[in-house]
Amino acid sequence: GKNEYDLLVIGGGSGGLACAKEAAGFGRKVAVMDYVEPSPQGTTWGLGGTCVNVGCIPKKLMHQAALLGSALKDAQHYGWNISQPVHHTWSVMAQSVQNYVKSLNWGHRVQLQEKKVKYFNIRGSFSDPHTVRGLTKAGKETVVTADNIVIATGGRPKYPMQVAGALEYGITSDDLFWLKESPGKTLPSFILYVSLECAGFLTGIGLDTTVMMRSVPLRGFDQASTKYLQMASLVTEHMESYGTKFLKRCFPTKVEKLKSNRLQVTWKNADLDTEETDSFNTVMWAVGRAPDTKTLNLETVGVKTNSDTGKIIVDASEATSVPHIYAVGDITEGRPELTPVAIAAGKLLAQRLFGQSSELMDYDNVPTTVFTPLEYGCVGLSEEAAVQRHGSDNIEVYHAYYKPLEFTVAERDATQCYMKMVCLREREQRILGLHFIGPNAGEVIQGFALGIKCGATYPQMMQTVGIHPTCAEEVTKLHITKRSGLDATVTGC
Amino acid sequence: MAQRLALQRLLSLPTRGPLASHGRALGTSAGRRSTFNVQDGSDFQDRVLNSSKPVVVDFHAQWCGPCKILGPRLEKLVAKLEGQVLMAKVDIDDHTDLAIEYEVGAVPTVLAMKNGDVVDKFVGIKDEDQLEAFLKKLIGA
Repeated sequence: GKNEYDLLVIGGGSGGLACAKEAAGFGRKVAVMDYVEPSPQGTTWGLGGTCVNVGCIPKKLMHQAALLGSALKDAQHYGWNISQPVHHTWSVMAQSVQNYVKSLNWGHRVQLQEKKVKYFNIRGSFSDPHTVRGLTKAGKETVVTADNIVIATGGRPKYPMQVAGALEYGITSDDLFWLKESPGKTLPSFILYVSLECAGFLTGIGLDTTVMMRSVPLRGFDQASTKYLQMASLVTEHMESYGTKFLKRCFPTKVEKLKSNRLQVTWKNADLDTEETDSFNTVMWAVGRAPDTKTLNLETVGVKTNSDTGKIIVDASEATSVPHIYAVGDITEGRPELTPVAIAAGKLLAQRLFGQSSELMDYDNVPTTVFTPLEYGCVGLSEEAAVQRHGSDNIEVYHAYYKPLEFTVAERDATQCYMKMVCLREREQRILGLHFIGPNAGEVIQGFALGIKCGATYPQMMQTVGIHPTCAEEVTKLHITKRSGLDATVTGC
Repeated sequence: MAQRLALQRLLSLPTRGPLASHGRALGTSAGRRSTFNVQDGSDFQDRVLNSSKPVVVDFHAQWCGPCKILGPRLEKLVAKLEGQVLMAKVDIDDHTDLAIEYEVGAVPTVLAMKNGDVVDKFVGIKDEDQLEAFLKKLIGA
């Protein structure tokens, strides 16, 4: 047609890049626009989106840094001569992590070049359903027209604007991973997995860390609900026993800067109905993420968004309310905010648009993991969701407290190492959900996700022989039901 | 035009401080003259493409560990050649367009250029013997 490109993707993150590269693979003329608005604290980064720059990648690396600290403590029991206490230098870790992230930025740039995808480092906004214009950093205007447009601009951390001083003095995950100097005594607030993961590794590297939470921890991974109560409390219990402080049922009222440059935080304790205060080096907000649609000019072209969340409403084929405009990733309403989900959705969309495919993205049974010091991995329904959907009489929950072999010699507390499998009670006893708290939870759950996708049943799981000695094998041996009320502690050999 | 080019070339030469004025005996000052950081596209045009001497172009990045080893190693060997070969350093984050134009993938990537053409190339770290052979081949010795 008369449009310059077959496909324009707005947003160079997990979803956007996957979609663009897949489309280019079909020989189409594709362009990507990526732009990073600096955070209120001035942090900015390169191509690749949230996961690469201020999400999964730096998070997992810093989590690893913290785990290594624990390993060093354990090492003595295994015969290593390591002088205690061990010390951690933030700037060395940050430099290594930031260097790796920058190499990924470059890698993405090269990939776009190799796949002949045109790259614009501009912030685009719609002028009509097939036209997006934007300004380069130098102020030059660029106009791009395309037959199809995919919006994949993701989200950015929210600030609790009702708290005085929140914007001026607080940071978010956008800034934490790019700090050159240690955040020192930190207050991550409030309760979402971001807060727990960050608090976890900050404590693990030796920093005085306090998590402030208004209500319950892990208030739904992706939706506001109390879906993961049991697992969330186990995870936070573990963190507490390892030194993270929790201020439960508290919410901040103001943040002020002291002459010493430290931050004075004042909060209300809902339980005691008192006002309390303490000073910190850093206050980090983790109160949720808002979709990045402000500057897109969606109203002009009529792309409908959810009035509560602001996210773009899409159907099962990722189509928006406007023909030829699609959306994938964190920007879309009702989808798990996960990199692999965005990538898969982006690829399938490109295949449907240009590759004669009709395969839709399957958003069910998406496995995921929270990388807190003791990790929590899961796939399928939570116990609460299964009860809601099928009724407690129709589900059976098998569970077990176990002790990883590696913890024994190291004399580590395994109180929160726990797993549960939620199954249908009737007929073939299909497995609805699997939940695992323990080391390497992500690695453990990944394989079981295939089983759940294939409709695995409880009898099939029992027929699966475990690998010994592992933590994962305990999944294949789950037999104590919650209903029985029996002690769920299992022992190894 | 020729006058302007000549003037440009004069102005782009490294400043001559007291060390340099003592002649070419000092290795470091010769090194300083043989190696330069590319400033922009037209600087690359002038000092690399239009260079009368062969140029070794070192595409590197701040975040690249091996680059920090290869750079000084190559610089030292180029300096030993006392001006037979020049070395241009390009930071790929500062000069992305240039790096993309020359199809730089992984870093370090080193190009050997003669009369504006790429005549040789290697990617990744190399030891001194390998670098010496690379430079020898470029000079045509």
